[in-house]
Amino acid sequence: MGLRKGLTILTLCLAFVLVMAACTKDNNAEPTPNTQTPASNNDASGSGGTDSRLEALGLDANLRFKETRKITVEIYDRGNDGGTPPEDNFYTDYIKEGLLRDHNIEVEFVPVPRWTEVEVINNLLAANQAPDISVTYSYPTIQAYANMGGVLDLNPYLEEYKDLLPDLWDLLTDSNIYWNQDPHTGTIWAIEARLAVLNRINTFVREDWLQKLGLEAPTTLQEFEDMLIAFRDNASLLLGDEADKMIPFSTSFDIGWRADHLLTSFVPNDITDKDIYVYGFDDRHFLLPNYKEGVRVLNKWYNEGLIWKDFSLYPAGDPTEDNLMKAGYVGAFIHNWDYPYRNGEDSIHANLQRLVGPDAAFVAVEPFPNDAGVYKKFLSGPIDRKIFFPATNDEPLASLLYLNWISKLENRLFLQFGEEGVTHEKLEDGSYKTLAATGEKIMNSPANIDYTLTINGLDLGDPDLTVKSIANGYAGVDKRYVEIAHRITTNQGRIGKNVNVGEIKSEAGQGQALKEKRDAILNRAVVAPPDQFDQIYDSGMEDYLRSGGQAIIDERRAAWEAVYGDKTMLD
Amino acid sequence: MNKTMNYLRRYWVLYVMLILPLAFFIIFRYIPMGYIQIAFKKYSIVQSPWEMAWADHNGFEYFIQAFSNRDFLYALRNTLMLNFLDLLFGFPAPIILALILNELAFKRFKRFTQTVVYLPHFLSWVIIAGMALQLFAPTSGLVNIMLQRMGFEPIPFLNDPVYWVITYVLLGIWQSVGWNTIIYLAAIAGINPELYEAASVDGAGRFRKIWHVTLPGLRPTIIVLLILSLGQILSSEFDRPYALSNKLVTDVSNVISIFVYNYGIRGLQFSLSTAVGLFQSVVCVIFLFAANALAKKTGERGIW
Repeated sequence: MGLRKGLTILTLCLAFVLVMAACTKDNNAEPTPNTQTPASNNDASGSGGTDSRLEALGLDANLRFKETRKITVEIYDRGNDGGTPPEDNFYTDYIKEGLLRDHNIEVEFVPVPRWTEVEVINNLLAANQAPDISVTYSYPTIQAYANMGGVLDLNPYLEEYKDLLPDLWDLLTDSNIYWNQDPHTGTIWAIEARLAVLNRINTFVREDWLQKLGLEAPTTLQEFEDMLIAFRDNASLLLGDEADKMIPFSTSFDIGWRADHLLTSFVPNDITDKDIYVYGFDDRHFLLPNYKEGVRVLNKWYNEGLIWKDFSLYPAGDPTEDNLMKAGYVGAFIHNWDYPYRNGEDSIHANLQRLVGPDAAFVAVEPFPNDAGVYKKFLSGPIDRKIFFPATNDEPLASLLYLNWISKLENRLFLQFGEEGVTHEKLEDGSYKTLAATGEKIMNSPANIDYTLTINGLDLGDPDLTVKSIANGYAGVDKRYVEIAHRITTNQGRIGKNVNVGEIKSEAGQGQALKEKRDAILNRAVVAPPDQFDQIYDSGMEDYLRSGGQAIIDERRAAWEAVYGDKTMLD
Repeated sequence: MNKTMNYLRRYWVLYVMLILPLAFFIIFRYIPMGYIQIAFKKYSIVQSPWEMAWADHNGFEYFIQAFSNRDFLYALRNTLMLNFLDLLFGFPAPIILALILNELAFKRFKRFTQTVVYLPHFLSWVIIAGMALQLFAPTSGLVNIMLQRMGFEPIPFLNDPVYWVITYVLLGIWQSVGWNTIIYLAAIAGINPELYEAASVDGAGRFRKIWHVTLPGLRPTIIVLLILSLGQILSSEFDRPYALSNKLVTDVSNVISIFVYNYGIRGLQFSLSTAVGLFQSVVCVIFLFAANALAKKTGERGIW
């Protein structure tokens, strides 16, 4: 009897709790329309009206809020081994203390995993829980939520508060702040952080193998190919017992990135800005004219045994290919401009020297001139992360003051280099040298790029010092390698320009699907038997165009012509 | 009246206990159904589904969009193909294994085998995909290294569409066959031993007994599981094709769940993906009903 009673009570309680949970469930999902609009600007226009204007904004003369404001800020979590929590460490304390001191703003950081950032920020936006200052590399994500009314238009706020944000303007300039302004409606859904260094990718080859085989660094496609063949044919000399592990050229499923310099060297030198824009939807340059001929070269190499056979099987982030490089089986590859030298003790360079010997090293080379003999590199514009405020942000001014504070030279230099004597030292020439930090002063990413939201990369205000400091930043790597890599990666580059013709509707929601398709086409074309290459590439491209690619090209062309008319080049 | 009161007085506790499961279904299964209307409306992040505007074409805009999307049609084809192959080869496998295990005389060996074959069920597909790469990659995979040492050509288990499908189906069988066997072994255990004795007396051999006693005894179980499997014909797993896939086989490996992931979650087309999900569910329900009706027509009990 007692048991039965007990059970009954328990059941009733549980049921009650569940019902209550159901009742409260939906309340949070109620939309909170943003009715807030910037305070009227009239006060500021009159002379001597500044104080009363600040008063109205709740600020004192030093731009300190009279009442503490609270904002949340997104921060990338890179899941670093042995690192500190990205939302709570020495550097976040520096920011929190600084903002509380200077502006009376309380800051809370919200970690978002770096490698799934788009998915996570999507979820946060959909749940109306996105941080007040949000950031993503995906502009289409912002555009999609803006169309649903989920993003704050920054234009009125930027105009209203411009005079309060001098450091933000100094760093980003009009160019990055107005980069995304819609030409028709004037809205600004996001401002672009500054990409301080345009370095993108490089081609690397094993310097010690070149020496062993008496070869010069290749300067043409033919020389590069001959070099790969020499690697393959001399596998026993270069690798001894492990000759069967020889990989002359290694790449990954992301062919578009991992062969970019080779592939884009086939694009005509005189391609216009208009064509770059019209065919530039894909960030891997997949649609640019003559790209296919570059892929044909890879196909030839693959069928001649010059390319790693298993390249397409490993997913993003899999360490297998890196391990092959570290073990010394790889002769050449194309990757991020400083790829072999990154990650200190665990870099490819450091491992190679430990496992193979002190002479073993990858060096950057420049072997792919285009039809005009130019080593052209397609570089992005000076833009990086896109910073936006979700519609749930009810502290736009405090958020903008945060961005201004983080853009101030002394603040960002502290975040990029840390404490003198602990995480960096100043060399005689005035450049910074990064020191390996321990404990809580380890940075979560090189130069703390996650905390310097408005800038990615070093900018010391002096280009010469900046380059020297960059080269100093690779512990245990001979400066020479970094300097070569730094010089080559942007040599004869063509910097992307801002084509701002408004929203292209056919791009909505297509990004991921077309990206998957592009990768599949490139992978299949590379491994195709040579006599089927054309058929596989062409049918893949046809499918790509019919699945939305052509619609984007057409809409982009029409939008360009509507704004720029007959012009094919921008100033 | 009095009878009813008496009944309630005696059994009210049972009814109270029913509240919990009912609440579960109402809260987590029926209330969310209200959100199905997203499939017929223009999704907006700042509105509740009731306020959203209706989509074009009487609300069917997203269904039309899906069916005119080539990727969706490929995904539909692949889902049907992979599920059909799974059904064709994966469904009989545990029955056969159960019959074999049942015939094993050496009890300890039988238990050992049973444990070994059902362990893979507890591995996630991400782990299995990692193992498959180590074993089947063309140059570095263990199996292909051994094949090459023996003088054979490496087999493109994972990087050729046809071989990939075979690998996919076989790995599926490997992962689940032992687990699914349990239910058949239980059914076999429930068969009256006198039937076997009678068959022996009539002079039936081992295969005769399997054919005339064990299999008929298993029939109701087989039918019920078959109906349930048919109800799943258009539903698609996500982990398995996603983890095993690579860029060379997307032509056959992109199933509906991956389509929904790419277009819906990564491409932010929530209405489109809800429409696809709804379509999937409706087809599954139709299959379930059809299979059940067919079973009843052939004299079986069906599942309801």
